[in-house]
Formats: sequence, C-alpha cells, structure tokens
Amino acid sequence: MLVTALLSGLVLGGTYALVAMGLTLQYGIARIMNLAYGEVVIAAAFLAYTLFTAWGISPVAGLLIAAPAGFALGYVIYGVMMRPLVARAWDKASLEIDSILATFGLLFVIQGVLLVVFGANFTSYSYLNVAVNVLGTTLAANRLLAFVLAAVFAGGLYLLLTRTLWGTALRAVSVAPGSAPLVGIDVDRAARMAFALGGALAAAGGVVISMYQTFTATSGVVFTMKALIVVIMGGVGNILGALSAGLILGVVETFVATYLDPGLTLAATYAIFLVVLLWRPSGLFGRIAR
Amino acid sequence: MLEVSNLSLHYGRHIALHQLSLKVGKGETVVILGANGAGKSSLLKSIAGLTKPDAGALISFDKRVITGTPAHDVLEAGIALVPEGRGVFGDLTVEENLALGAYAKRARQGARDRQDFVYSLFSKLRDRRSQYVNTMSGGEQQMVAIGRALMSKPDLLMLDEPSLGLAPVVVGELFASLARIKAAGLALLIVEQNVKMTLSIADRGYLAEAGRITGEGTAQALMSDAAVQRAFLGAAN
Repeated sequence: MLVTALLSGLVLGGTYALVAMGLTLQYGIARIMNLAYGEVVIAAAFLAYTLFTAWGISPVAGLLIAAPAGFALGYVIYGVMMRPLVARAWDKASLEIDSILATFGLLFVIQGVLLVVFGANFTSYSYLNVAVNVLGTTLAANRLLAFVLAAVFAGGLYLLLTRTLWGTALRAVSVAPGSAPLVGIDVDRAARMAFALGGALAAAGGVVISMYQTFTATSGVVFTMKALIVVIMGGVGNILGALSAGLILGVVETFVATYLDPGLTLAATYAIFLVVLLWRPSGLFGRIAR
Repeated sequence: MLEVSNLSLHYGRHIALHQLSLKVGKGETVVILGANGAGKSSLLKSIAGLTKPDAGALISFDKRVITGTPAHDVLEAGIALVPEGRGVFGDLTVEENLALGAYAKRARQGARDRQDFVYSLFSKLRDRRSQYVNTMSGGEQQMVAIGRALMSKPDLLMLDEPSLGLAPVVVGELFASLARIKAAGLALLIVEQNVKMTLSIADRGYLAEAGRITGEGTAQALMSDAAVQRAFLGAAN
C-alpha cells in the first residue's frame, strides 16, 4: 500500500509540477499573475477529449496540436490584453493588481465558452487504461505515461532555460528586468515569449490531465490554485523548485487521502501552503531562476 | 562619433538636464566631472535609451539618430553602458553574465575571442566563471559588469561611477584595466568622482553643474585648471 500510494502520489505530483511550470514562467518572467491559467488547462483537456473521441487522435499526438495552440493563445493574449497593462503600470505591484483583475475576467470568458460548447458534465475518456506492473504494484498505463510526459517536459524546459542563450536571457529578465536591456534583451518581447511558453505548458498539462482524470468546464480554478501553491512553494520563477514542490504536494495529498481521510486533502494542501507562506515566503528553494 | 545636442530632461518639476551638448570622437576617452546631482547619471541613461529626453534633443551615433531609441537597440548601434550600481545579473554565474553580454545580434560573431579578451583583462573572472555573481566582492562584480559590456562589441563604452564603493587598491586595478580597454581602440565616456585617476587616462573632459555643461577642455588643461583643482582635486593652494 505504501508503494502504491507513493507511486500515485508521484504521478499526481508530476502533473502538478507540469502545470505549475507554465505558471511560474508567466509569473516569474512575464510578471503576470494569470488567474485564467487553469481555464487554459481545462480547454486543452477538452481539446484532447474531442480529438480522441471524435477523430481517434491519441492524446500523445494531441500534444503536438495542443501545445502549439496554447503557445499561440498565450502569445495573442499577451499582445492584446497584457501589453497595455504592462505599458501603463507604474511598478511591479500595480501590474500585479491589474493583471489579476484582467485575468479574473478572462477566466469567466473562457469558462463560459467551455460551458456552452461542452456543458457542465463530468468528462473523461478511456485511453491506455490497462494495468502495468511497477515495482511490485500495479499502475494504470495512462498514469505512467502521464508521469513520463511530465518528466520529459520538465527536463526539456530546464535544458532550454539553462543551456541555451535564449533561455538564459529569459532567466536574466526574471532576476533583473531593469538590467536586461543593457545587454540588448527586449524585455517586452521576452515577457511575451515567456507568457506564450507558459500557455504551451498549460495546454500540455491539460492534455496529460485528461488522460487519467475526470474534469468539468468549471474545474480550472482548482488547477490555478494548486499551480499557484506549487509556484510559491518552489520559489517564483524557479523551474526545479516547481518540479520538487509539485512532487511533494502530490505525494502529501495522496498520503493524506490514503492514510487519513480523502476529505482532508484540500485542507492538507492549504496547510502546507500556509506554512510555506509564513515561514519561507520566498519558497522552499528560493526565488531564483536556476 | 557620439554627438549630443540640446539634451534636456525633467522629472516632474525637477530639471535634471538643461540643453546639454557634448561630443565623443572615435577612440576618444572623455570624462564628465561634477558633484552629486549634476545630472551625470541622467545624461548617460538618456544616451543609453533608458530614459526618454524632452522633445528637441538630438543624439546621434556614427551619423545615425538614436534619440528615443529603446535601450536594447542603442546597444545594437554600438553603445554599451555600465550603470551605477553595476546592474549585473546577481543570480546568474559569471559565465552566464558574459554570455548574455553577447546576446545582441551585433555581438554573436566573435564572442569567444572577446571572452578571451575579457578573461585576459580580468583573470580573476576566468577562475571564478562558475560562481554566482551576487556572492562576489564589489570589485569583482564591477569586473563582471565591464566584461559583460565589452562582450557586446561596443564602439563606445559608457561607465557611471565605476570606482564607487571600491577599495583604493581595487580602484587602481580598475583604471589600469580601463587604460587597456582604451588602448584596444574603444571610445570611453566616464562619469567619475575619482577625478585625478580619471583625468590621467582621459583625453578630454566636461564640467557639469546642476544639469548644465559649465566648462570643457583637454584632460591636461583641466588637471591644471584652478577651479577644477579647488572643486575636485582638493588643492590646498
């Protein structure tokens, strides 16, 4: 039972980490607190569902459609909605407030469209729903795949940010936006790219979630909140921090649900959040884009 | 090479710069002397594109008008700024800071050779290339800032109070390095409190006071100028 709980905790945590990485890019680099983030996740989940049930396109292939679509959506949203806010913002705090209000509105726009198109029902589909043997216990193949995909995306993103000049420039904007123009970085463009990349990760997260979880048009807010908790736990803008914090949160939730009471899951989540916020406000791993 | 004319700048009601004009020739080292609040930093920031001057200003570089051009494009034109307080990426390593210095399109080619030049100038940086910059001393951070600016292949390097807060022995090393950069053919525009050291490597200088240029001359002439001696060099007689 211990190994089973640990494995499903890691699967869940991998998904949390994947979803949170996009938010940490948007918040840490573009400095936009995007409350509509979870809605993009759910929109991608519905996209994967539609591709699979209507055309028989597997979710893995669906990623190749959803991730670029998420990138494009983020790119357009930044250009249309966020850039005017950034241009008129006095400082970081006023941008934060403006972006929270604006994306709070966007949340209901996307949610409304999803409700009209897909209805309010619980939605799921059956993909790779076969048991595989892992470390002496059984796990659904779709969950194993979800974990592998999360690991691939996390690894890819980490390499992109640390091993390429483009990624290093994004981290430079995250740690010292005022100095970035001194080396020729167009901060506005970098922020737009980071926001779009965050959209791609949100969409990838949505596809992965749809493979093994049930979702509704209104469950986006759950993912925004969990992603936010993971981002703050891991340190804003910190990719490895988000990865570790996501895994911790998934394992803790699963252990609480298994050994204490499933009803305490959310309580445990927010208890961790409060502890981190009170004692380590810059995150367990620091506010550093390493 | 750099020509600034009629440059004014105000923050609200405060006038920081008033119809200021100056020139820097190719390969020339020019120093701007003036007390705190004379508007020297505002001047460098206006040239670098970090602050927008009032209408009517004309800043041109190599015959190209760059007034109001955003900072990242001014860098592409060949002007690099080492700002007051250095502006390094403290949470990144020395190597990453230098690599970012060559982020500009004009700087991509030959980045390796320039990195070798920076390491020959500041050998300490080579030994500490994997160190996070915010764990280094002020003098070492200044080396990173100057090295990063050199990586962008500038024709004109502007330095805002480079010796501020550094120990005297470190200041000596710093000016020796600046002399080597000058010898490599770069034009330098330096704002400094350390007047004696700066004049010793400069060709020409301007005196700034309350946002205006109040005098100019060759470094030699300024060094022996009675007013300069009284104001900056602490001459007793």
